[in-house]
Amino acid sequence: MNRWYLLALLLVLAVPASAAEGIPGDADADGTLTRAEYASAALAYLDAAYMNGAGELDRDGIRDAAWVYARWDGKPREVVDSTGRTVTLYRPLRRVVTFSGESLETLRSLGFDMDKIIAVDKYSHEKSIFFPECREKVNVGSIWSPDMEKVLSVRPDTVILYATISTAACDDIQKRLEASSPGIRVLRFDCFKPATYAGEIRTIASIIDETERGEEFASFYGSTMDRIRDGTAGIPDDEKTRVYFEYWFDYTTVAASAGYNEKTELAGGKNPFAVGTTEYPVVDPEAIIVADPQVVVKLAGQGLAIGGYAGHDPAALAAIRSALFERPGWSRISAVKDDRVHVIHSDILGGAQHFIGTAYLAKWFYPDRFADLDPHAVHQRYLTEFQGIDFDLASQGTFAYP
Amino acid sequence: MIGLPANRLFCLVLLFLFVPAAVCGAPVTRTLSTAEPGAGEVFEVSLSIDGIALGGVVETLPAGYAFAGTDHPDDRVLVRGQKIGFTVMDDTAITYSVTAPASGSGDIAGTWEDFLGETDGEVAASHVAVDGIETAAESGGEKPAAQEAAPQFAVVAAAAALLIAGWGGRR
Repeated sequence: MNRWYLLALLLVLAVPASAAEGIPGDADADGTLTRAEYASAALAYLDAAYMNGAGELDRDGIRDAAWVYARWDGKPREVVDSTGRTVTLYRPLRRVVTFSGESLETLRSLGFDMDKIIAVDKYSHEKSIFFPECREKVNVGSIWSPDMEKVLSVRPDTVILYATISTAACDDIQKRLEASSPGIRVLRFDCFKPATYAGEIRTIASIIDETERGEEFASFYGSTMDRIRDGTAGIPDDEKTRVYFEYWFDYTTVAASAGYNEKTELAGGKNPFAVGTTEYPVVDPEAIIVADPQVVVKLAGQGLAIGGYAGHDPAALAAIRSALFERPGWSRISAVKDDRVHVIHSDILGGAQHFIGTAYLAKWFYPDRFADLDPHAVHQRYLTEFQGIDFDLASQGTFAYP
Repeated sequence: MIGLPANRLFCLVLLFLFVPAAVCGAPVTRTLSTAEPGAGEVFEVSLSIDGIALGGVVETLPAGYAFAGTDHPDDRVLVRGQKIGFTVMDDTAITYSVTAPASGSGDIAGTWEDFLGETDGEVAASHVAVDGIETAAESGGEKPAAQEAAPQFAVVAAAAALLIAGWGGRR
């Protein structure tokens, strides 16, 4: 079949599943599901489902009506996503496609029913250890190369995209969805930025009606971040720890606009290369020696695929660290002389888990100030209590060395 | 198994076998004012509902038995032939009346749904027989009487097991 005909067919099929604007069961369509309307809708559903009668709502419809009636007081829920756009929800999230692993992870932290995630981005799909439940879900590609046919074929009611990164790609996906299937709700969140994450936790918790869990998780997240902020507050600029943060690639650092720089600064680090507009500038090796960092942090992860959730290999991280010691002229750097060279994996610094990585940075930068901070314990609690995955940090994964 | 008499152990095994089957299970259970109504007698069916905030129950009466009324609000009840639908809105009990036919036996069957919990299931069948007389035609294909008596038997067996276990312990 011609590809365009197939796409057109999918568009037609996708619309009825998702385009139903208005609260299910709201007979007079006045935007409020009253007790009488709900009762009538429920009875009509029972009639159709079990008594050979007729009724408009199917099982999902009556469940959605019950949700709106019980949890949203019979009214639509308005939420403001991280682009500042107000989205009106007439039904709960039931068939969700997410292009953002960070939002997916946050949904899991908040206890969202992961069966209602029907398709995920290719990166989350690949993370079979961290997202074992996503192995069998539909893979819709990435925001840069989305498989729109697949997105529409799974008939989502909600698609989640990033808010403030890769905005052109996400805008394009949103426009295509709105043009083809206006009933599909597009929500946009980042879920990786320290400045906005606590608010996003609460907003997403409100959407899925897990406000109590949201408060609990936001409090857990906030307690670590506040501990770091409080511990570094008041340190004069000239007394801050000088840090050379090296990206996956040799002699590539992070500048002011990079997220890793934000976390370095949050942890009280002073990045001598935090200038310029390039996010990840390549630096002159001699300039690093001249800057004489007190701490060196090397990032492992996607571009330096060692450790993380995918592998328990402390020796590999130790080897990366040893190689840094061998670099020409580095024996003159304070960080090397004082044995303050560390390797950290992007799994705990770049996404929703940035608070764990930032805690490691703070402890490395100011061991005395953060003597009581235990990033390893924070990490394990996050995995066990909030992510609900069976992952023992004592024997699985490698995230920070030493 | 230090100092545990064999008969006591046996009784405890009986207890563990029967009690869970008797007391655990569906959020909707049914009791009848009588399982052996007289001809034309009106008897009561009580549904006990636990933990369903918003949902529904659909009951199916045996042939010949007729719905005769309920204490449930009118706008939350629907009768269609032998089926009666009730919407559940924070209710913990629903009572309805049934008129027995001149003769006949069968099962009152039921289905429940919890819309918020997104679960559903069956209400255990309750057997009724006018004057206790089984009519093969109407009860054909349904569960044998021995199976229907299982919950009551389980409770009796469990109670007996407890008594014997206590007796064994004293010896």
